[in-house]
Amino acid sequence: MDTFDALAHGMAVAMQPMNLLYALIGVFLGTAVGVLPGIGPALTVALLLPVTYKLDPGGSLIMFAGIYYGGMYGGSTTAILINTPGESASMATALEGNKMAKAGRGGPALATSAIGSFVAGTIATIGLAFLAPWLVDFAVRFGPEDYFALMCVAFVTVSATFGDSPVRGLTSLFIGLTLGLVGIDKLTGQARLAFGIPELLDGVEVTTLAVGLFAVGEALYVASRRHHAEEKLEPVRGSLWMTREDWRRSWKPWLRGTLFGFPIGALPAGGAEIPTFLSYSTERRLTKHPEEFGKGAIEGVAGPEAANNASAAGTLVPLLTLGLPTSATAAMMLAGFQQYGLNPGPLLFAERPDLVWGLIASLFIANGMLLVLNLPLVGLWVRLLAIPQAWLYAGILVFATMGTIAAKPSVVELSMLAAFGVMGFLMRRFDFPIAPVVIGLILGPIAESQLRRALAISLGDPMVLLQSPMSATLLGVALIALLAPFVLRGLGRFKANED
Amino acid sequence: MISSHMRLFGAVVALLLGASGPASAQQLELKLMAPAAPGGGWDQTARSMQQALVAAGVARSVQVTNVPGAGGSVGIAQFVNGAKGDGSQMMVNGFVMVGALAMNKSPVTLDQVTPIARLTEETQVIVVPASSPIKTAQDLATALKADIAKVTFAGGSAGGVDHVMAALFAGTVGADAKRINYIPFSGGGESLAAILGGKVTAGISGLSEYEGQIKAGKLRALGVTSAQRLPGVDIPTFKEQGIELVLANWRSVVAPPGITPEQRKVLSDAVEMMVKSDAWKDILKQKGWDDAYLGGDAFADFLKKEITRVTEVLKSVGLVKS
Amino acid sequence: MTPDTASDNLARTPARRVDRAGIAIAAALAVLAAVLVWDASKLPATTMYGMGPEAMPIVIAVGLVVLAVGNLIDALRGKLPPRESMDPKPVWLIIGGLALLIAIIGLGGGFILATSALFVTTSAAFGRRAVLADTAIALVISTLIYLAFDKLLTLSLPTGPLERLL
Repeated sequence: MDTFDALAHGMAVAMQPMNLLYALIGVFLGTAVGVLPGIGPALTVALLLPVTYKLDPGGSLIMFAGIYYGGMYGGSTTAILINTPGESASMATALEGNKMAKAGRGGPALATSAIGSFVAGTIATIGLAFLAPWLVDFAVRFGPEDYFALMCVAFVTVSATFGDSPVRGLTSLFIGLTLGLVGIDKLTGQARLAFGIPELLDGVEVTTLAVGLFAVGEALYVASRRHHAEEKLEPVRGSLWMTREDWRRSWKPWLRGTLFGFPIGALPAGGAEIPTFLSYSTERRLTKHPEEFGKGAIEGVAGPEAANNASAAGTLVPLLTLGLPTSATAAMMLAGFQQYGLNPGPLLFAERPDLVWGLIASLFIANGMLLVLNLPLVGLWVRLLAIPQAWLYAGILVFATMGTIAAKPSVVELSMLAAFGVMGFLMRRFDFPIAPVVIGLILGPIAESQLRRALAISLGDPMVLLQSPMSATLLGVALIALLAPFVLRGLGRFKANED
Repeated sequence: MISSHMRLFGAVVALLLGASGPASAQQLELKLMAPAAPGGGWDQTARSMQQALVAAGVARSVQVTNVPGAGGSVGIAQFVNGAKGDGSQMMVNGFVMVGALAMNKSPVTLDQVTPIARLTEETQVIVVPASSPIKTAQDLATALKADIAKVTFAGGSAGGVDHVMAALFAGTVGADAKRINYIPFSGGGESLAAILGGKVTAGISGLSEYEGQIKAGKLRALGVTSAQRLPGVDIPTFKEQGIELVLANWRSVVAPPGITPEQRKVLSDAVEMMVKSDAWKDILKQKGWDDAYLGGDAFADFLKKEITRVTEVLKSVGLVKS
Repeated sequence: MTPDTASDNLARTPARRVDRAGIAIAAALAVLAAVLVWDASKLPATTMYGMGPEAMPIVIAVGLVVLAVGNLIDALRGKLPPRESMDPKPVWLIIGGLALLIAIIGLGGGFILATSALFVTTSAAFGRRAVLADTAIALVISTLIYLAFDKLLTLSLPTGPLERLL
C-alpha cells in the first residue's frame, strides 16, 4: 500500500538521530513558552517559528511539530498544577485536573494527560491517513444550520458543570453569554457593548477570562480565607504514577475523547473547545465514580485531553485535503509548509506525498518525544506545589499576568484580567460555578453567528434548521440529552418502587 | 549564491548612501508596527520587510511590534499618537484597514499618516460550485438583477475587501447594491465549506486561497478583478466580460504624521531599495505575493481614491452612517 | 460592588433569613440586562435578511431578567449556601498589586518592575512579612524570566529602565 510505504519513509527520515534531537529541542521550547497562560499552541508556534528558519527543511519541520505539541502540553500542565488553563481547550482539563493535583494526585493527572494525548494523537493520525478524503466530504456538507445544531448539543452539556443549583449555573452561563456579545458583530460589523473603547472591539479574549476567573480569582479567594486554616498542599499522596486502577479508568475516556475530537476538529468551524466539553460531560455521565467528579476524577482529565489532541489532528484534514487552515493552529501549520515553498491543497496528497507523510511522521515522532520528555518531569512538576504558599501564589499571579503581558500588553487587557479576577473571587465566595461563564463566552458567539448565517441564507425562514438532516438529527440529540436525565430519574424511581 | 548577490548589493547600497550624507542607511534603525496579531497577513508582511531590509543592507536593524485589534484601529491610533514626527517608525497596513476605520468610527484616519509605498496586492475572484447553473459573470449579473436577495455571497469579515467587492459587483451590473445578501464567514475554511456544500450562491476571496480548488475542478471561477489577464491564470477578468470591476487587496507601508520631507525621503528610499532587492523578490516568490510597488505621491493619490471608493461603498450597504 | 459589604454584615448575623448579598446580585443582573437592552437599542438596523445584531442581546437580557428573579427568590428565602467569614485585607493587597502592575506597564516602567510589584504584594497578602527579602527574590526571578523569554526566545516583553540596562 502506498500510504504505508509513504508513512514508513517519512518515519525513517524523522527517526534520524539529528532529527530526534531537533524534536527534543522543539518539544522543550514549546513546553517552556506554552506553559504561559494566554499563549496557546498557535501563538507558541508563531513566536518560535523564526527559531526553525535556521535549520534545513526536514529539521525545521520536525522541530516545528515538536514546538506545537510542546505548546499544547504546556497549556495542560498549568491547567492541572495551578488551575490556569493556558488556552481555552484545556479549560475542561483544569476542572478535574487541578482538583486531582490538590489532592496529591497531580502525578497521575499529568501522566494520563500526556499518555492520553499520545494515544489520541496516534489514533487520529491513523484516521487522518485513511479517512481524510471521506471525512472532508462530510465536513464540507456541514452548513451554518448544522453548526448551530451542534452548538445546541454543546449547550446542553454545559449543565454538567453547573454544580447543585441550576439557577446559579444558568446565571454563570448568561454572564458568559453577555461577555460573548462584547465587540464587533461578525455579521454586520457593528460594535456591541464596546462603550467606545477600541480594545474592546475585538471582544473578550477567552484566555483572559479563563485566567482571570480561574487563577487570579482563586488566589484572591484562598488569600481571603487564610485566617481559617492554611491550606496545606501535599504534592504527592499515594502513587506518583498512574496505578492499575488509573489505567483502567483512563483508557475508555481516551478513546471516547478521540471519537469526539477528531471528527469535530475536522469541521472547518469545529474547534477544540466543543469536543473537550462534550467529552467532559460524557465522562461525567458515564463514570462509575460520579461522587469523585468535582473533586478530582481522572476520567475528567483523560477524556478532554484526548479530545483536545485528536481535534488538533482533525484540523489537518481540511488543511491537507482542501489546503485550508481552519484554525490559528492550522494556519501556523501552513506556515510550516510554506517553508518548503509549497501550498497545501486538493492536489497535495497526489503531488507531494513525501512531504505530507513527512509532516505526519514528524507529528508522530514529536508526540512520542513529548512523552519521553515529560513523563520523567512529572515528579519535578508536581513538586512545584511544595513551594511555600505565599511564593506559590505570588508566582502563579506573575505567571498568569505574564501570559497577557506577552500576548497583548495593553492596560485595557490587563485591567480586564484583574476585573475578571475579582469576579472570579466573588463568584467563588457566593458559590457560583466558574466554568459556565467561559463556556458561555466560547459557545455563545459561535451559536449566534451560525444561526444568523443560516437565517440569512434562508431569507429568515427558521425551517432551514429542520430541513437539513444533519441539523435535525443534532437538534434531536440535544433534545434527548436535555430530557434524558429527567426521564432516567423517573425510570429509576419507577424501578425503585417496583423493587 | 543569493548571499553573494546580497553582499554585493549591500556594498553598493552602502557606497551610495555613504556618499549621500549623515543619514546613511547603514545606520538606519527602524521600528515597524504590524497592527495585527502575529501570524496574519500584515504581520507576515512586516516580518518579511524586516528580513529583506536587513538582508539587503538597507537598515542595520528592524524591530517588529504587534499591536492587534479591530482591523488595525487600535494599532493606527497608537501609531499616529505615539510616533508623531518619528522618522524611524513605519506601519504596515492594507485595504481592510480603510473599511475597518470607517466602520469602527475611529477618531484616527489614514489621512493622518504619511504614505510611503504600496508593496503587494492580491487579485480577488468570484467562484461558484462546479455544479452551479451559473457559468459566467454575466449569468451571475442576471441572477442578481432577477432577485438580489436570493443570490447569497460568502466571504470574509463584514466591511472587508470581499464585502466591498460584492457590493461593487452588484452596483456595476445594475442591481441594487444596498440589498445584497452578503454573509461574512470567520475564515476561508468556513466560507469554502459553505460554497462547496452549495449553501450559498457564490463565494468571494483572494485568488490564491481558492486557486487549488479551481484547478482541481471543484469550484468554477467566474472572473478575477485584475485589469489584465494574469500570467499563468486561466480565468477571464471581469473587465473583458464587460463588467467594469477592477480591484485588488493591497498592502502598503506608511510613516507617522509630522515627519519632515527629508525623513520621508529616507524612508521612501529605504523601502524602494528593499523592493528592488533580491531578498524581497525571493520572499514574494515564496509567499506567492504579487509585486505592486507604487511609491511617493502616486501612492498618496491611490490611497486617497481607495478611501473615497471604499467609504462610499460601505455607506451604500449601510455599514457606515453618512 | 456592594455584595462585599453586605456579606460582612451577614457574616456577623448568619441567622438572618433574607440574604442581602443575594439581593444585590439579583439587582446587578437586572442592571446588566438593562445595559444590554440600552446598547442594543442604539444599534442601527442594517441586516435585511434573517436576524439582526440586536436580537441576541435582547434574548440574553430576557434570560438575565428571569435569572435575576430566580436569584431574588433564593435570596428572599435565605436559600444561598452558607459563607464563611472573610479577611478583606489580603484581597485588597492583591488587587492593589494588580493595579500597581497595570500602572507600571501603562507608564512604561517595564516588565521586571511590574511583575516584582505584584509578586511582593501577593506574598505579603499571604502573610509574608520579609518585604525586602521578597523584593530581592522577585527582582531576581523576574529578571531571569525576562532574559529567558526576551533574549533567548525573542518574545517581546514591555521594556522599562531596568530592561534597558540588560
